[in-house]
Amino acid sequence: MSLTDRIARGLEAGWQVTDATTLTDHQTHEADVVIVGTGAGGGTTAEILAKSGLSVILVEEGRLYYQKDFTMDEHSAYASLYQEGMSRTTRDGAIAILQGRCVGGSTTVNWTSSFRTPDQTLTYWADNFGLDNLSPEAMAPWFDGREQRHTMAPWPTPPNVNNDILRQGCEQLGYSWQTIPRNVKGCWNLGYCGVGCPTNAKQGALMTTIPGALDHQARLFHGLRAERLIMNQDRIDHLQASAMAADGITPSGVTVTLKARHFVVAASAIGSPGLLLRSDIPDPHARVGKRSFIHPVNATIAQMPEKVDPFYGAPQSIYSDEFNFKNGVDGPAGFKLEVPPLHPGMSAGVIPGHGPEQIDAMAGLPWTQSIIALMRDGFHPDSPGGTVTLRDDGSPVLDYPITDYLWQGLRQAYLTMAEIQFAAGASKVRLVHLDSDWYTSWGEARAAINSIAMEPHRVRLFTAHQMGGCSMGQDPRSSVVNGFGEHHQVSNLSVHDASVFPTSIGANPQLSIYALAARNSARLAAKLTS
Amino acid sequence: MLDPSAARSGDTEFARLDRRSFLRSGLGGTLFLATVSTTAGLSGCATAPAGRLDAIDTRMDTSYQFRFLTRDDIDLFEALLPAMFGPALPEQPQARRLAVAGTIERIDAGIDNFGPANQQELRRLFDLLTFGFTRVTIARVWSRWPNVSTADANAFLERWRTSGIGLFNNGYIALTKISNVAFYGGRDQWHLSGYPGPPQWAVDALPQFKTA
Repeated sequence: MSLTDRIARGLEAGWQVTDATTLTDHQTHEADVVIVGTGAGGGTTAEILAKSGLSVILVEEGRLYYQKDFTMDEHSAYASLYQEGMSRTTRDGAIAILQGRCVGGSTTVNWTSSFRTPDQTLTYWADNFGLDNLSPEAMAPWFDGREQRHTMAPWPTPPNVNNDILRQGCEQLGYSWQTIPRNVKGCWNLGYCGVGCPTNAKQGALMTTIPGALDHQARLFHGLRAERLIMNQDRIDHLQASAMAADGITPSGVTVTLKARHFVVAASAIGSPGLLLRSDIPDPHARVGKRSFIHPVNATIAQMPEKVDPFYGAPQSIYSDEFNFKNGVDGPAGFKLEVPPLHPGMSAGVIPGHGPEQIDAMAGLPWTQSIIALMRDGFHPDSPGGTVTLRDDGSPVLDYPITDYLWQGLRQAYLTMAEIQFAAGASKVRLVHLDSDWYTSWGEARAAINSIAMEPHRVRLFTAHQMGGCSMGQDPRSSVVNGFGEHHQVSNLSVHDASVFPTSIGANPQLSIYALAARNSARLAAKLTS
Repeated sequence: MLDPSAARSGDTEFARLDRRSFLRSGLGGTLFLATVSTTAGLSGCATAPAGRLDAIDTRMDTSYQFRFLTRDDIDLFEALLPAMFGPALPEQPQARRLAVAGTIERIDAGIDNFGPANQQELRRLFDLLTFGFTRVTIARVWSRWPNVSTADANAFLERWRTSGIGLFNNGYIALTKISNVAFYGGRDQWHLSGYPGPPQWAVDALPQFKTA
């Protein structure tokens, strides 16, 4: 049923989609609303506004890729679908940043995990940022609505072995575990979510809100970079955008000017603060780019006696929140435990090493299991997050210093992950860390982890969840937008993506973004149509 | 405006590597400044992508057009890859050369999508490693890369992996990561990780794999 491609059909039916890399002339277009970004936030906003009768222009720097391009191939997917060809890192290079750069944004390449914002997080926001309107009760209908829109449900199929080992280890140790809700329809359980769903089963923005918006006369420009929002007195007058050349990376020199009554920025927690900073949008308290959170991730890998084939099957289906809020919402750093898929290129890039040891580690891939810990950052004074600034060329870059508070959480996570893997029967475990050996018992691993150097670069760190940088809050002195994503200083500007989160989420963020964007877009639509 | 050719301030990772590591390694600021200016002076001609290479000269498939790597960079990787993958490379000399050449081409193709900022970082790193003076003083590799033995290449990688200076660790990660992804992620090397590729039944059933 998913084999009649939704995008191919829509393009044939005359959707207004412009590949900006083909443009040869400067041009100007106008709509009620210009939306920058086509990911979880931008897609949701576009569909809701377009369905309410507003004219919408969507701007996406990446390209439109769809089923015909999704060939379950790592190299081509990393090159075309990810920011900076999968080479994005924090400024010092210590944390690898996995982030989509294509129509659908990161929802096109995520692993489909679909969690509501934890109640503890929403309550913390109410208590600390004046966001009382985002209580769990108030948000519940928005989560319900988005769960239906994106076909989210706990994965009914048995987990693959990679995920089941997390379940087994937790069972052995008496730790809680649960089944992950996924946004899929007719999933083939293949394991290639991260390189673009080949079967159209994934119900990310690409298969839901983007087609929904385009069906309602929204116009999409892809291969078009939002350079600058241009103010006229106290309002934004237009967006200045640069068409990409055929390579999709360098500007072609063609400029597109987009005029609108209202502008919604949804260009990600790195891209949105970047755009606001480039545009010199009023920021009297210097809040733009501050409090950036990333769920810093560390990992362990285990050799199992049985075949794991960690490259096949739904990549994420089991999680454990045993340690997420155990010490209170603002105690020592909590973390969520999940499992990553392991394809050869990704594995070889993540597991640090060279020579015979690396050859052996890779030869063991079919028996390799991995656990990742996602640190819940931003809930403690010693976890103030990072900062997005601009490089000399105007591109955004994230500085993210790891504080001692986080190092302690990361060490605890190493301990927990190794313990779980041994409890599930691992024959040996190593940390994804420059200094780690293979450890053959829990006791040996524990001793080593307790003394291993917790330092940037040596601890291999990753993030797939970028949040914050345009924080929402009641107080304009400490935030960029209010609880509806409305900019505190500029009346025709909203921010509808993960950049508004005032802390990390404590769970994979896509449903949090969808739900908040839906809520805030319904309000914006009512405002603009009244 | 985003102008990829715009001059950069030098506040990038490997610019700082120049600065901090030189000072910390005790060579002193004067020498360091001389080095950087020399390197900068050379970079104009050294950074021209190799383009198509002469097959006899380079042992490579001349149909591939290099877009980022220079001839010096290719020498660097020809020296490093045997230390990274030696026992996993084919033994037959021609097959071995092809495996190394194919991996270097995939490294170049990967970097081509990195975008200007990270390309600039890698350019600094590769220039630092291929320019004689910094190769000797910072990487402590005494010969030109074409003359570096696999054992010496491995010793260099080990020094940077185990170094207490984070910026060297970062250099080690940069070199090994792009090489590891290009090598093990390549179809010809899937067997080394026991990866059978996408399930055949799915490939057979999906429209995007059907040839017209």
